[in-house]
Amino acid sequence: MAEMWINMGPQHPMTHGLWNLRIKVDGETIVDAEPVVGYLHRGIEKLAEARTYTQVIPITDRLCYGASLAWSHLYCTAAEDLMGVEVPERAEYLRVAALEMQRIASHLMWLAAYAADLGAMIGFIYSMRDREVFIDLLQALTGSRITYNYPRIGGVAHDAPPDFARDSLRACDYMEKKLKEYEDLYEGSKVFMLRNEGVGILSKEDAMNLGITGPSLRGSGVKCDVRKDMPYSVYPEMDFEAASHPDGDCYSRYRVRMDEMYQSCKIIRQAVTKMPAGKWRVVAPRNGPVGTGIGRVEDPRGEGMMYIVGDGTDRPYRLKIRSPIFVSVSAAPKLLVGYKVADVVAIMGGLDMCIGETDR
Amino acid sequence: MVDGGRGEQRREGIERPPSLISESPEERVIKALLEAFPTAVTDFKKLRQGVLRARIERRDLFKACMMLRDQQGFEHLSMISAVEYDTRFEVVYHITSYQNRLLVELITTTPKEDPSVDSISSIWGGANWQEREAYDLMGVKFNNHPKLERILLPSDYLYHPLRKDFKG
Repeated sequence: MAEMWINMGPQHPMTHGLWNLRIKVDGETIVDAEPVVGYLHRGIEKLAEARTYTQVIPITDRLCYGASLAWSHLYCTAAEDLMGVEVPERAEYLRVAALEMQRIASHLMWLAAYAADLGAMIGFIYSMRDREVFIDLLQALTGSRITYNYPRIGGVAHDAPPDFARDSLRACDYMEKKLKEYEDLYEGSKVFMLRNEGVGILSKEDAMNLGITGPSLRGSGVKCDVRKDMPYSVYPEMDFEAASHPDGDCYSRYRVRMDEMYQSCKIIRQAVTKMPAGKWRVVAPRNGPVGTGIGRVEDPRGEGMMYIVGDGTDRPYRLKIRSPIFVSVSAAPKLLVGYKVADVVAIMGGLDMCIGETDR
Repeated sequence: MVDGGRGEQRREGIERPPSLISESPEERVIKALLEAFPTAVTDFKKLRQGVLRARIERRDLFKACMMLRDQQGFEHLSMISAVEYDTRFEVVYHITSYQNRLLVELITTTPKEDPSVDSISSIWGGANWQEREAYDLMGVKFNNHPKLERILLPSDYLYHPLRKDFKG
């Protein structure tokens, strides 16, 4: 049969955001693929050059609507590295607790979208319901629900509200119970398992070479996590494991994200109980020095990185943002070739696409 | 914690000559780079635990990256950033080693009249799109790139918007 190119997107239920996947098919089999991104490019790196260091924090929130706190935290760590600012210990614990809540909320949003993609509509509703628990906690902590504007250069914006620890512990207990329910729901579903197991296999070597990071890399059996490998904040004090699964298929990537939610609950528990009293913010200088700073964190989607160049004024000279999904999606040909058109949804959905950070 | 873990492994392991025991992974990378490219590599600095910085001449960039991947175990290219200065462009590569828990910041300089460096997308597949992005937004060309086209902006766009002379 003649080969032909098909556009999936920009308006397609699979895309979750605005991007286009061009696939070349021979009958039902994919022989080549080419993702097209850029529809949501807002020029955040350029915008940052015209704003003071503090004014950049709210725009970095807009990088990813699913995990905005991770990005503003990443920007703050990069700016702190540039300015040499020491963050008070209480602020670090508050950040870790908030980051892990954000990770669970982000993974639940992924699970919601993924389940709906694969025909388990009830999964969408369950996940969104339980995500609300963590959104509420973050709202109590930061005052907002989606874009938090919470970390600051040199700490965090507010202290925790009263009973924050108690509510967090309750939320973790609730979540762990619900995660077991999810496992029964999905792993007991023949349709879900058939569309996941053995689909989109990515070897360890390919995953590392193609720059895939985060849960998708750990789903290929590489046990590396920036929180463990190059620890930042107070992660060295926390007892947790970097979840990984050896198979490298879609099920493996699903399993890693589920395990990560258990580990996140574990970290939140430790963070809120060990949290010391004291200051939660120090005043950072208005002007950054001449020099460079890097921030490298484990974003819910992979390795987030920022490179910031200061020229002695109150504005960053250059801010470079590394988006994990921008690099992961470039591996689409490797992931898709040889599978059927019907598998595209599962394979690309398993990467946890977020177009806000991809296009910046 | 990371450091303590590795230190213990070294103590428990088989006996090795003292020079090897004292050599940290950072030192090993510095030594290997300096031995292979004695004139091209300058300005070595250990920024903090596990993070190194080095400047390298652009003619040796490809070979140095090849050596880092094949001999020093750097499996992953994290980030490529292009930065514009008054008289030059700097292309900054952040390269990671998962097994040794190292991050190397490799900086190469290219003049304004001829902003081009060798593409390393044949070494790390993850570099492909990042080089296209640097070309799109900053106008740095990457020699021998398989498909050096605009990626975030439309293909008929005329400018490289991250350059300082571009005013919205």
